[in-house]
Amino acid sequence: MLRLVPTACLGALLCACGPLPPRAPEGLQGQGPGSAQPAPGTPAAPSAPAPRQFHLGSAASALVTQAHHQAAGGDYGQAAATLERALRIEPDNPLVWIELGRVRLAENNGLQADAMGHKALALATGDPTAQSAAWRLVADSLRLQGRNAEAAEADRHAAGLTTH
Amino acid sequence: MLCAALYVLYLDIVVVHQFEGRRWTLPAQVYAAPLELYAGLELTLPELEGELQRLRYRRAAQLDHPGTYRLQGEHIEVALRPVRFADETRAAQLLTINGGAGRILGLRDAAGGEVPVLRLEPLLIGSIFPIHGEDRIVVTPAEVPPLLPAALKAVEDRKFDTHHGVDPLAMLRAAWVDVRARQIEQGGSTLTQQLVRSYFLSSRQTLSRKLREAVMAMALDAHFSKADLMNAYINEIFLGQDGDRAIHGFGLASQFYFGKPLAELDLSEVALLVAVVRGPSYYDPRRHPERALQRRNLVLKIMSEQGVVASADAAAAARLPLGVASRPAGAYYPAYLDFVRRTLRRDYHEEDLTKAGLRIYTSLDPRAQQQAESALEQTLDRLDRAHPHPPAPLEGAVVVTAPSSGDVIAIVGGRDVGYDGFDRALDAHRPMGSLVKPFIYLAALESGRYNAATVVQDAPVDVKLASGQHWQPENFTHQVYGAVPLVRALAESLNLATVGVGLDIGLPKVAATLQRFGLPQPPAQVPAMLLGAVDVSPLETAQLFNGLANGGFRTPLRAVRAVISAQGKPLKAFPLEVTQVAAPETIYQLDRMLVLVMDHGTGRAARAMLPPQLLVAGKSGTSSDLRDSWFAGFSGSHLVVVWVGYDNDDPTGLTGSTGALPVWAHLMAELNATSWTAPMPESLAEVHIEFPTGLRVVPGCAQDIVAVVVPGGAQLPARPGCGFPDTPTGAPASGSLLQRAQQWLHGAVH
Repeated sequence: MLRLVPTACLGALLCACGPLPPRAPEGLQGQGPGSAQPAPGTPAAPSAPAPRQFHLGSAASALVTQAHHQAAGGDYGQAAATLERALRIEPDNPLVWIELGRVRLAENNGLQADAMGHKALALATGDPTAQSAAWRLVADSLRLQGRNAEAAEADRHAAGLTTH
Repeated sequence: MLCAALYVLYLDIVVVHQFEGRRWTLPAQVYAAPLELYAGLELTLPELEGELQRLRYRRAAQLDHPGTYRLQGEHIEVALRPVRFADETRAAQLLTINGGAGRILGLRDAAGGEVPVLRLEPLLIGSIFPIHGEDRIVVTPAEVPPLLPAALKAVEDRKFDTHHGVDPLAMLRAAWVDVRARQIEQGGSTLTQQLVRSYFLSSRQTLSRKLREAVMAMALDAHFSKADLMNAYINEIFLGQDGDRAIHGFGLASQFYFGKPLAELDLSEVALLVAVVRGPSYYDPRRHPERALQRRNLVLKIMSEQGVVASADAAAAARLPLGVASRPAGAYYPAYLDFVRRTLRRDYHEEDLTKAGLRIYTSLDPRAQQQAESALEQTLDRLDRAHPHPPAPLEGAVVVTAPSSGDVIAIVGGRDVGYDGFDRALDAHRPMGSLVKPFIYLAALESGRYNAATVVQDAPVDVKLASGQHWQPENFTHQVYGAVPLVRALAESLNLATVGVGLDIGLPKVAATLQRFGLPQPPAQVPAMLLGAVDVSPLETAQLFNGLANGGFRTPLRAVRAVISAQGKPLKAFPLEVTQVAAPETIYQLDRMLVLVMDHGTGRAARAMLPPQLLVAGKSGTSSDLRDSWFAGFSGSHLVVVWVGYDNDDPTGLTGSTGALPVWAHLMAELNATSWTAPMPESLAEVHIEFPTGLRVVPGCAQDIVAVVVPGGAQLPARPGCGFPDTPTGAPASGSLLQRAQQWLHGAVH
């Protein structure tokens, strides 16, 4: 069990992911004093978010596995309820939102799947793998709604992130 | 004679028919959210012990039955009770919880296997019973401790196993005792007669009713087994009154008086419930503890004399205090239950809720609820004491949500938290005052014409209304501030600058923004709307601000997660739904401005009460003439909305910062909240500006510098001679990331 402690500390310092408060605001990373400053009146440079990789903690991971079994048995309601438990433990983890969006997709609820994909995207800043998975969810949910052109665009976003 | 025989036959048919088809009306039982335990959860062992005690787990040397726990150094061993959740049923089991450094380190089952996550059972928080109606929890014979029927027989009806429903000798003896004592000391009624009285008859004491009772008791005894009658008695009998709620049956009485299942009661507790049978009001252990104690000890003495328990055990039990929970279980949270009831009335008939035995699982967090209640009570007490001549006690309301899930985790409807009356959190609709400003500024950011550093004019406003009158609002300080950056106008809640921005954006856009975030009714599109002439309840305010706290995603606030039938069948779920109502880029810019409200603006008084590292965002609100004091703000894990005011709408003399903010900060400091750490969208950039002027500067160049976030590529005027473009680039100006974060948290980098 003790091995979790260094993992947690590492997560808090490097990843800023998972339920490990307190954390410094993201906006501080790669910004602020000392960053390359443009001359007065010239455009401010867009931020370069610190790279990171989201992962599931052991509790959320166990619940996601349980939800997979429930969804495989066709019980999407239970699977969603289990994923909501995971979300209460790791509300800022885009991977959990993607999982929940996938269940909504399986229920043919394209609107909610799409919204959860966008929620995951907003959280996944700095993690191209998670961003790509979120874009793929968005693409699939758009396709389900018959919005094929937008779905293709979302797929291009997803592909662009994974090829970098 | 024939008439009498026919009447007896009639009663016999009635009794048998009704009793065979008996179905107690079962009010819906409402449960709080279960506490999820997992490695990494921030919870100290004493806090965990507190949670177990809230569920009335008993500390014991041996874990010989469910509902007990013991401390073993850095871990707690718990014998968990069997439990039914909305989605699974779990048998009783042993669990070892390792803790240390303020958090849970791991969980293990009885075989030593690692348990990644486990829910404690949910706390029963109440029931939905008919108005002036019976509330009960039905128990099966297996859930009844054997001592209870034995004690009932010893005290109330010694010949229960052998008589035929009535005991004439006992009735005569009781009458003689009562005459001698000149008061009712013995009832003389058998348990069967008491059951008949409670189940079929009124409580009027007339001879004809007594006769009818006797005939019906004999009929019951002739047709049903003694075990069946005892079980019916245990579930039927009246054992207390809680406001409008009548406490029926030992199952509910055990929860009502001791906060735990009937099966876990010890000898002294069983004896107290048996004592209460004789007069639930007269022997009310909360109102008349001395009287109840005497009667309990009499019951113990009788049990010992009748050989039900050993005399040493009875004597030991008689030395124990009453052990009654200070507040009745199931009556804690009227304001929260009010919201639950209103949610369910959309889908269920009143009859289903009060009679069908539904089990309702909610999001209430009992610890957060308790903290919210105490923050409100303590702060209002202090504010009342500070007021030289308070016209009436101040009132208030608090709503706490978990922004990501939309779970409503606590609702306080007023200062008297146990009062099941006017629920201010849901029903007090008051002008939102400056709480409207974030939505005006969001609309401004969305227009693409404003950012946090945009300089706006705080200048006199004169709007000619359709009525011909002139609307001339003022700042709270009655001063005019001139050119100010948008972020300062919001942080210092400047009315004139805000009205200027709002009129520029247009009232329809502001109104539409409010509605997008969940305002239920379209607001009247008058200029005064820009200063918060929009009536909202605290719960509606929580809905509006939840979208700001949740990255621009609206999530309908939920109290109810799931409903299952009495048989355990899932009936209804209230799944999480999200709708994106603002772009992540605009919400992030706005939220960073709301962070500065807490560091540089009307929320800064909270800083002294909050943990130093906790990053929060928020906004104060004050309605005209200081009638309503609001504060709405969020951390990464909690949104808290507080309203303070008088019920009669008198001025309070309090602003949002002096009335509601102390309640908010007191509560936020206790909630174990995590910092607001939304990731900054990639298209945005963080820059430093001079707070008073909005001019771009480099850190260290001026006195009052703040970091704001603007769209990448935004043109910002720079303060002349303030570091541009001579600043060396590349090296951090003031230490490590952590140090910079700490400096930033204190509002400025000097």
